[in-house]
Amino acid sequence: MEDNIAIKVENLTKKFRIPEHGSPTTLQERFVNPFAKKKMIDFVALKDLSFDVKKGEFFSVIGPNGAGKSTLLKLISGIYIPDGGTIDVNGKLVPFLELGVGFNPDLSARENVYLNGTILGLTEKEIDESVDDIFDFAELKEFEDLSIKKFSSGMQVRLAFSIAIRVKSDILVLDEVLAVGDGEFQKKCFAYFDDIVGKKTILFVSHGLESVRRYSDRVLWLKEDKTYEIGEPNDIVDRYSATF
Amino acid sequence: MNKNDIDLYKQFVKTTFKMRYKGSILGFLWVLLKPFFMFLILFMIFSHMSSASAGLTSQQYAVYLLSGLIVYTFFNEGMIWGMGSIMERAELIVKINFKRDVVVASSLSMALINFSINLLIVLAVALILKINITLMGLAYILFIGLTMFLSLYGISFFTSIWLVHVRDLQHIMELVLQLLFYASAVFFPVEMIPENYRFIVYYNPVARFVKAVREALIFGEITDLKFVLLALASSIVLVIVGRLYFNKHIKKVAEHF
Repeated sequence: MEDNIAIKVENLTKKFRIPEHGSPTTLQERFVNPFAKKKMIDFVALKDLSFDVKKGEFFSVIGPNGAGKSTLLKLISGIYIPDGGTIDVNGKLVPFLELGVGFNPDLSARENVYLNGTILGLTEKEIDESVDDIFDFAELKEFEDLSIKKFSSGMQVRLAFSIAIRVKSDILVLDEVLAVGDGEFQKKCFAYFDDIVGKKTILFVSHGLESVRRYSDRVLWLKEDKTYEIGEPNDIVDRYSATF
Repeated sequence: MNKNDIDLYKQFVKTTFKMRYKGSILGFLWVLLKPFFMFLILFMIFSHMSSASAGLTSQQYAVYLLSGLIVYTFFNEGMIWGMGSIMERAELIVKINFKRDVVVASSLSMALINFSINLLIVLAVALILKINITLMGLAYILFIGLTMFLSLYGISFFTSIWLVHVRDLQHIMELVLQLLFYASAVFFPVEMIPENYRFIVYYNPVARFVKAVREALIFGEITDLKFVLLALASSIVLVIVGRLYFNKHIKKVAEHF
């Protein structure tokens, strides 16, 4: 792979085998109708998709529900494996498919920083060093020892975002996590994004078309019929908006 | 294993440990109380009958029963927690790509921690009841514990994946383990089983482990070494093959939750 490429996707195809009438996961369902289990159909989520993301590029993916955006991110993050084609990732990739993954509501905020941080790939030592900064950034210093089930959802997201940005990575995979919390905290998030744009490779999936326009270098538009277009943000977003 | 995998493992063990007894007033004491009452009930009912036919004093029978219980409990918890480990972390597995075997190892570690604590208590009880514990016997018990842990680890590589596809396994496993409790001669001596049925105990690895631990603890004897070594060798093979199987199938699992 060339040095200036961060993610290279070639002829990517992903199908899901789904049963026609609800998944027969228990033996009972199989006993009741032993022939039903054979009726599996292929649901094509992505078909023959090729593109590459250059280092330092802000690359956005848009498209209607069911076009395969989340599947694409999960494939690139290594959570799913492709049925056809290849994905090459050059550098350390951190997926933020959802903020606060693994948060345990019964544990204190501090304990959750350690849990979530290690899940995202930090070591205990790295967290020791940055735990105070995390709480400062999240503006939650005084709630450190409170269990996070007592947190408002806004507070939880603020904490999660503050942990996520501590993870050292070359490539960020973001799924609609921009602009979290109240107005004041949003400003801090945007300041953070303004700061990393150009330094890190960012793969971004969003329905928020304004942030797509504001940050993207290029946009991939996945369509329901499994065709796609890649192009300049304003042009693609304009034409995509015209479809609804 | 890199640094993060080890830290992640520690976090998972810590969290599971904290969560298991969180909110209960007696908290961690439950680890000890449940087997204690189980022991009490079985001891009251069976001590007279069993100790007579096994040729044990009632002190020896108390240790005999306790050691059987902790070995069986270790196997039981290891099987259940190891099998459920992937399902339990389903939410994480569909969202983050971390090293999945950490999940299996951390769930099994809980069973190992419980076993270690239980073992300490049994040793204390044995000392109080003036059972002569030998260093060799103790070393052999630890060796058996390690062998069992490895076999549980190997088995869990398979069962944790299978459970995702066939949820019935949860109930089947509970049933099998329940039967295994009676087939492992935990609270009665093998001599009480009619001769035609003794093969059940003979071909049951848990029963053999139970027996070997008992004899090491009560009489300081190393018995059935050939079986334990064979079990160790097959466990190592199981771990290696299981790991390959696990790594091959775990990626597909994310699509089946």
